[in-house]
Amino acid sequence: MSAPSLATRATDLIGSEWTKFRSVRSTFWALLVAVVTPVAVSAIVAFAFASANQHGAPKTGAAKTAPPSDPLLPAVISLEYAVIAVAVLGVLAFTAEYSTGLIRVTFAAAPRRRAVLAAKAAVLAAVTLAVGEGVAFASFGLDQAILAGHHQGVSLGHPGVPGAVLCTGLLLAVCTLLGLALGAIVRHTAGGIAATIGVILVPGIVALLPSPWSGRIGRFTLLDAARQVSALHPAADLFSPGWSLLVLLAWPVAGLAVAAVLITRRDA
Amino acid sequence: MIEVERLSKRFGPVTAVDDLSFTVRPGRVTGFLGPNGAGKSTTMRVILGLDQPTAGRALVGGRRYDGLVRPLREVGSLLDASALHPGRTARAHLRSIAQSNGIGRPRVDEVLRLTGLEGVAGRRAGGFSLGMKQRLGIAAAMLGDPPVLMFDEPVNGLDPEGIHWIRGFFRELATDGRTVLVSSHLMSEMAQTADHLVIIGRGRLLAETSTAELIESSARRDVLLRSPRAAELAGLIAARGGTATPQPDGALVVTGLDAAAVGELAAANGIALHALVPRQASLEDAYLDLTGDSTDYRAGTS
Repeated sequence: MSAPSLATRATDLIGSEWTKFRSVRSTFWALLVAVVTPVAVSAIVAFAFASANQHGAPKTGAAKTAPPSDPLLPAVISLEYAVIAVAVLGVLAFTAEYSTGLIRVTFAAAPRRRAVLAAKAAVLAAVTLAVGEGVAFASFGLDQAILAGHHQGVSLGHPGVPGAVLCTGLLLAVCTLLGLALGAIVRHTAGGIAATIGVILVPGIVALLPSPWSGRIGRFTLLDAARQVSALHPAADLFSPGWSLLVLLAWPVAGLAVAAVLITRRDA
Repeated sequence: MIEVERLSKRFGPVTAVDDLSFTVRPGRVTGFLGPNGAGKSTTMRVILGLDQPTAGRALVGGRRYDGLVRPLREVGSLLDASALHPGRTARAHLRSIAQSNGIGRPRVDEVLRLTGLEGVAGRRAGGFSLGMKQRLGIAAAMLGDPPVLMFDEPVNGLDPEGIHWIRGFFRELATDGRTVLVSSHLMSEMAQTADHLVIIGRGRLLAETSTAELIESSARRDVLLRSPRAAELAGLIAARGGTATPQPDGALVVTGLDAAAVGELAAANGIALHALVPRQASLEDAYLDLTGDSTDYRAGTS
């Protein structure tokens, strides 16, 4: 029997991870939450925006830190509500295997552990990217219909809008991959979830810093970067949308790099 | 064939495996024996490339495990029957493992039949009994139809019928010419399953021998006797070249003379015997003799 090609082995591993992914119920529930919550939340936020913009300054807490009139903001704010669901999905990809000992079956079947990490990342990224983009465009459509009723909407043909909405949809994949990486690093479900939520949400505290510093530090945080790439009117005190996109992608890339180093060094 | 060469594995200050060497050959069932904590599971994990050895190496079919491209076609293993996602069905569990090595659906159905699980293939594995999980683990080990198989404590938790089935199954695998390594901490179990034994204690090799040889070599044959004139008889036995050791309860344990000779000697001197029992050490005793000094946690004697 001749040795299978790299492409064949990659396809086999991805197929294996896909089978694992779709054969447990937590996948279905996490994705259901990731789809339903943001669409519903975005409609609520859009209504709040529409009325706030008509009656002066925005009153919602989430909107305070953002440019008051950005019509794309409701979509990204709402997607933030799906972040925890998909981040947990990412964490569980490894920790569910570590907690049962299944990881030894997995690594005995595929001794190249980085290939397993890559296959899990490919499956999670593909699914959450599809879901994220779908939700981003659905939320955009719903929001603009609501805002249009108050003459505040923009169309998808407006310059800068398609790119911003596409970038909005990245958020879920970014957070899932970060969860995957932290799950592989921490190797315990509760610890992995806590670490992931901490890394994603805790840096938001810098918004409370006095003026120049909130932006100078905030520009490196995952959620501020996500808002910046998703905005029609980017904030002046953060990085440009291009740099912010790099910051956004750097978080999961850095996490996966650390995971790739540790996964081969440690005993399973 | 599995070759373990001068293997050591330390976890911080604890030495789990200490300069261990042995070879597992095809065509027979090799029992991997040792008390709990002797290093059996660690050795198996190192063979499978899951743990990195501190020193030495383990080869499967002449190669390091982590260099195998389709490892399940070379080595099948069952380390822990509960290593499965409780929410996943038996078939999906096997399918995901099979896919990673390019093994198709028909083989998944074959191993389900082989292990008698075809009727429960669509059920979530979390609801399985331990015996069913063991069968599922064996099914996974058989997916690649490998020439080398390793099972860590496969008999634990099985009912008598399951134990009977698994013994026959190992026998068949060996008859096929496969290399079969089965670990256990129970000598009595291995006596009925294994042709060859690798016995370790505290991470060190204590014996590598055939099951028959072990019984032969460490068989303690002696004679237990009771007599109202035990002290007098002890002197006569010593005079005939035997050794008589008095026991705390007044009995004598005699070696160097068999029961017939002791009986004749007593009769010739008119000494009454109340008991005369020829004793042979069991395989279990032979095993305890070997591992007696190397048990990590032993019940205290007081």
